[in-house]
Amino acid sequence: MDFDFSVITDHLSFLGSGIAITLLLSVLSGTTSLIAGFFVALFRLYGPRWLKPLVVLYIDSMRAIPVLVVLVWTFFALPIIAGVTMSPFMAALIGLTVHLAAYAAEIVRAGVESVRPGQSRAALALGMSRAQIVRRIVMPQALVRMLPAFGSLLSITIKDTAIASVIAVLELMRQSETLAGQSFQPIEVFSFAMLVYFLMLFPVTRGVDMFYRRVAHLGRS
Amino acid sequence: MNKSATQSGRTKAGGITIIRYRGVVKRYGDFQALSGIDLDVHAGEVVCLIGPSGSGKSTLLRCTNGLESIEGGDIEFEGTALPRDERELRAVRTRMGMVFQSFELFPHLTALANVAEGPRTVLRKHAAEANRRASAMLAKVGLADKAPNYPSALSGGQQQRVAIARALAMEPDVMLFDEPTSALDPETIGEVLNVMKQLADEGMTMVVVTHEMTFARRVGDWIAVFDAGRIVEQGPPEQIFDAPTTERTRDFLSHLGWTG
Ligand SMILES: Nc1ncnc2c1ncn2[C@@H]1O[C@H](COP(=O)(O)OP(=O)(O)OP(=O)(O)O)[C@@H](O)[C@H]1O
Ligand SMILES: [Mg+2]
Repeated sequence: MDFDFSVITDHLSFLGSGIAITLLLSVLSGTTSLIAGFFVALFRLYGPRWLKPLVVLYIDSMRAIPVLVVLVWTFFALPIIAGVTMSPFMAALIGLTVHLAAYAAEIVRAGVESVRPGQSRAALALGMSRAQIVRRIVMPQALVRMLPAFGSLLSITIKDTAIASVIAVLELMRQSETLAGQSFQPIEVFSFAMLVYFLMLFPVTRGVDMFYRRVAHLGRS
Repeated sequence: MNKSATQSGRTKAGGITIIRYRGVVKRYGDFQALSGIDLDVHAGEVVCLIGPSGSGKSTLLRCTNGLESIEGGDIEFEGTALPRDERELRAVRTRMGMVFQSFELFPHLTALANVAEGPRTVLRKHAAEANRRASAMLAKVGLADKAPNYPSALSGGQQQRVAIARALAMEPDVMLFDEPTSALDPETIGEVLNVMKQLADEGMTMVVVTHEMTFARRVGDWIAVFDAGRIVEQGPPEQIFDAPTTERTRDFLSHLGWTG
């Protein structure tokens, strides 16, 4: 079998635009889901009692529904219900955020709950308020403890952006499918796509691991 | 017990009463952890709480600064009943230092920042003033050179001394110690007890839960023996350790191998 990788070099800008969209979607949905997840967790941990069942329902349903279904629903059903038009990219960003924020919220909650109660007790004994304790004592330690899980979530985020290809977001997977179909060279094109995903993810997971090893002691009480 | 019987041999009993416990009852569900505690702590006194595991010593300390609420009786601090309101309770806590068996230093802060945290966040001192105070307190416990270290780079004994400095930085009127040396290696227990002895000599009022009978005997002014949520005997160390009046106290001490 002969391989001809000129199909890649000949269409570098076409594939490159796909890589750029993948990166943009990853960074944006990674950021928004982190922020949203943070607030969801705060609501679940410290929010009013009546809000908690709603938050739990949201988290449980996002863990039960495939991200593909959420994306397709956001793109095809949500615009009709809400009476708005939405670009595929926007739909992907919203769908991914809604899905991933549930996981981010669980990471934040587990991180906060893993800080031993003795830490809060020591801070209370100093005369600190509940809000001061969360902000100055519990959260900083919890954030350190969350790092490995956030690293995994970030890599899941990058991988999940490939699913946006089904709603015609012109990211790396979509561009690869188009090129593979036109050139009849799926082996070269999809191998290239795999390599690019690996090269994007590997430094992220490794970087987070290395950083965590350096700061882990700051969260160890 | 009548008043004179409970107070005989109490040299500092003439001073102001810092903490007064009267009929203190604490329940966890159906379980009664404290069943009517009567105890006075006078200014400048070292009161040691001893007794078997689960007898309620830690519980009484936690009730003292309102970390736990009580179901019956009163606790007065400097002549005023402990407030129930969270904000007022916080003001009271700033005047009581607490030291825990497991140190509970904040791992994300250096030794200096641990000690400066209270003055900075609670007393709202400027960073420079808070750090100055923190440095002075670290020097007091003999750890001036460890100021930039994180807790993970300190030995257990050093961590506990930083924890003492953290409590002292609030300039409290009383210090509550909950088994401050129980989690330490034998060779570092001494350095923590020395700091506590020094504090006592300076006239700090202290309530100390401890299993260090030698410390209680030598440094304590008043000893309260706990059993099953009650004080079964209280008195000066000479009485408790040399001539205990109750079977319970004798049992407890002989169980520890105390021979006097
Ligand atoms: N939060 C809690 N919920 C239920 N029971 C509790 C709680 N805290 C303490 N207890 C119970 O109250 C009793 C007194 O506990 P406490 O910790 O005060 O004992 P202690 O005298 O300090 O013992 P030790 O020497 O082991 O520290 C124990 O039986 C304990 O199981
Ligand atoms: Mg205890």
